[in-house]
Amino acid sequence: MRRARGTLLIWAFLAPSLTIFLLYRILPLLWNAALSVQTWSPFRPSKFAGLIHYEELLFHDEVFWTSLWNTVVFMSSSPIAIALALGLALLVDTRIRGRGVYRAIIFLSYPLMTVAVGIIWRWLYDEKVGLLNYVLLSLHLTQRRIAFLDSYEWAMPSVVVAAVWQIVGFFMVILLAGLQNIPPNLQEAAALDGASGVQRFRHITLPLLRPAIFLCLMIGIINSFTSFDLIYVMTGGGPNYATEVLITYIYRVAFVLSKFDYAAALTVVLFLFLLVLTWLANRVAGGEAGAVDAAE
Amino acid sequence: MRPSRAASVHAALIAVSMVMLVPFYWVLKTSLTGENIFQYPPALLPRAIHPFYYVDVWYYIPFVRYLANSVIVSAIVVASNLVCNALAAYALTLRFRGQRAIIGLLLSCMLIPFQATIIPAYLITKELHLLNSHLGLALPLGSTIVCIFVFKASFDAIPRSLIDAARIDGLPEWRIIRHVMLPLSTSAVATTVILSFIWSWNSFLWPLIVIRNPELQTLPLGLSTFLSYMENTTGALYAFCIMVLVPGIALFLLEQRRFIEGLTSGATKG
Amino acid sequence: MRRTLTRIVIGLLALGLLTGPVAAQPKTLSLLTWNIPIYKEKIEGWIADFKKIHPDVTVEWFDKKGPEWGPFYQTQVVAGTAPDIIDTQGAIWLDYASNGGLVDLTPHLQRDAAVKDYYNPKFLQTWVYEGKNYMVPFYVSKTLLFYNKGMLKEAGIARPPQTFDELLDAARKMTKGEKSGFMTLNFDWLYWPLLAMNGVELLTPDLKKAAFNTPAAVKTVDALAKATADGTINKVAWTGRWVEPNNAFASGTVGLYQAHAPAFFYVRGGGPWINGDTLGATQMPGGFATPNSHGLGISKSSKHPELAWEFIKLATNEKWAYTFGKNFKLFTGTRVDGRLMDELQKEDPLAASVMKTQLEQVDKLVATWPLGKDAQVKEAFYSEFQAAVLGRKPAAAALAEAERKVNRLLAR
Repeated sequence: MRRARGTLLIWAFLAPSLTIFLLYRILPLLWNAALSVQTWSPFRPSKFAGLIHYEELLFHDEVFWTSLWNTVVFMSSSPIAIALALGLALLVDTRIRGRGVYRAIIFLSYPLMTVAVGIIWRWLYDEKVGLLNYVLLSLHLTQRRIAFLDSYEWAMPSVVVAAVWQIVGFFMVILLAGLQNIPPNLQEAAALDGASGVQRFRHITLPLLRPAIFLCLMIGIINSFTSFDLIYVMTGGGPNYATEVLITYIYRVAFVLSKFDYAAALTVVLFLFLLVLTWLANRVAGGEAGAVDAAE
Repeated sequence: MRPSRAASVHAALIAVSMVMLVPFYWVLKTSLTGENIFQYPPALLPRAIHPFYYVDVWYYIPFVRYLANSVIVSAIVVASNLVCNALAAYALTLRFRGQRAIIGLLLSCMLIPFQATIIPAYLITKELHLLNSHLGLALPLGSTIVCIFVFKASFDAIPRSLIDAARIDGLPEWRIIRHVMLPLSTSAVATTVILSFIWSWNSFLWPLIVIRNPELQTLPLGLSTFLSYMENTTGALYAFCIMVLVPGIALFLLEQRRFIEGLTSGATKG
Repeated sequence: MRRTLTRIVIGLLALGLLTGPVAAQPKTLSLLTWNIPIYKEKIEGWIADFKKIHPDVTVEWFDKKGPEWGPFYQTQVVAGTAPDIIDTQGAIWLDYASNGGLVDLTPHLQRDAAVKDYYNPKFLQTWVYEGKNYMVPFYVSKTLLFYNKGMLKEAGIARPPQTFDELLDAARKMTKGEKSGFMTLNFDWLYWPLLAMNGVELLTPDLKKAAFNTPAAVKTVDALAKATADGTINKVAWTGRWVEPNNAFASGTVGLYQAHAPAFFYVRGGGPWINGDTLGATQMPGGFATPNSHGLGISKSSKHPELAWEFIKLATNEKWAYTFGKNFKLFTGTRVDGRLMDELQKEDPLAASVMKTQLEQVDKLVATWPLGKDAQVKEAFYSEFQAAVLGRKPAAAALAEAERKVNRLLAR
């Protein structure tokens, strides 16, 4: 009886969160799935249409493939940001004065509204009047101005830089917490045993940081959705779809082109794609996705 | 630490700080001077400082009301997150059938993008009669998967001996959470508070479609209305953004210390 | 701590529930406008006047900025609570009309013949789809050519260009350093006059197939691409939205700027150099212009279409149309425009010189195809066009690809 009560309690504890997710994530996903196999407009009754939207997006829609690729590229900003943040965390973790100040300054970018981040970076990158071009020209690092956001080659890297800027502070704070959780006596013992700094880093620090790194990865994934705002404000998906990621494409198809049924199919595809990606990442990272059974 | 090493660390950090601060400097400068940011060459130092944009923000829109709405919604979100996530995380630390399935489910839920769900979310909120209300605004953000895992990580690190001791003492489960788990997880609490606050505070798309009553607008929506009054003045936009930014920063600065306290005094594993 | 927390949570929940939805009153009309919150007092004036005639009706007013208008309205439509009266910009109404989302106003206009004559027929015509009139003019605008007199003089150009070749030529002469010769807005087909003046048609007269893949079009796009590549045309023309091109012209670094009248007020606000001696306004070569007007219409789901029509008549009547025109210095597509123009001439000659272009050459309006799939065709065409002018693709290939895409769209 105790175990039964235990199980009931467990589900009761899970209920509030699960209800919210059911209402606001799972049901909407199912709504999208149902819609993706119909032709539908807000003004007319729907008709079952089988897989025509999927066929359209897989075989006839080059913007879909472009945006899929761009999504992958954009997600690469997460590992870059994590690597940078790790470096910063190691620096800040040293015994220097004013750590708190550095920490606060570097974190500052995260709470700033993405709209503001987008607009200011858009200006920084501006070909004619932007600060970056001004600095590059003044320091004679380039001969001609670079059209960061208006050129097909530079647009996506530029957006990735802005995204990294926004999130690196946040990752640093998480990794810093993880670093400070590592018992110092482990490091000392290893040093006494003759392990070098690099070896200590690889065999002690990194494994113990796995949960923190995994957390950063998770937040990074979510952030690449919320960065919808960032991309939309900075480039609107252009030029010529150079920075169109799946989520901006879905938004445009739904609310600018008013094709909700097609957008629903795109959403389902995005979800499945991410699912596969996460599953792969999990396998590569070695199993338990929770990664929260602390390193043993 | 050797002085030369400290110096190089400082140098590196100062360089990084400047990179982080340059955009802020510009936002702040433009908000105080209202120069056309499309001038060239860009003016590095501010001229003619005036605080009028901040005054305009206060004057042209009911900034206080929007602030109050944002505060109420974010407070609901933070409180809800603390409760729901801690409970769920605790449940996940116990072994039960379906635990792995639930974890998998939660991770998958994280992959569902919000922009693709706003219409069904709207319809659901309508069915619940929560349109146009603070609760309706807060509910979709009421629990976040990331924070559940943060709590779980923290709870997992607490020695079973403590929990078992509490159980033997006859404490009911929820009291265990409150008196044993939470006090030892201040960093998780701080992370949850900061994250859920920021996500709720800056949320724009959801309030846009859920709120019809102008009295209930939150700050980001107010920004939109405000911009319509001051269409081409980036200075005004930035003044607004700074004013919206301040609570988030303040919260972080406050929580920062608790964050650290929690880490250095937490129960260390062997 | 937890007890306090619980109390706080309960308190907030109670607060949250207290601010729940107000019960709907009988006979409510809702009005959704597009980015005119600054006009609040006058809209309240409309509502007050309406209340005098219909005291039992409450009117709710929402205003949303352009990029937010779409998501807001469409969500409301899906939920079945679409605002009764909507103010749309450009061709967005076509999407709704072609899907049966708007009330056909033709019978109302026929019934109230006096009202029909009150609206300028040339502008009224721009809201006709399949023979039915779905909206009435709220305020109208079309594209024109702004020019920086100083830059023209410096480059030795005597008068604004009269042909496409003259346009590019003049632009080239004015380009040096940060200054570029020509720029245009690119949303809502506003760039189309550049193609129209070279004899390019978008579609066949039956609107079923693409008709733009012609040697003339290839030549034009090619010329535009070359001009963009050497800086004669400011790239922002093809990549900017609303703010960037306006700001660029306001900073005084662009010689010729194709935009619609509302841009003038934005630009004047941001460019202290602008006055009667420095800014000129004229038609684009050939007089071609894309309209970008706002219309008022009624959502199909409205429960009180007759009342909505009454409201629209009131909002656009002489008193209020005149007030609107005076307030914003824009024209309303009604009989009132003549008077507005006369008064503007005296009060703000520079604005008058700009607004004069709005009432001229109204039979040279282009890009007004009544396409149900306007948004999609626009996207399909512009994505290829943009690739060509930005030098990513040769013009011929881009136009061929655009033709393929557009035909595919129209065939489905």
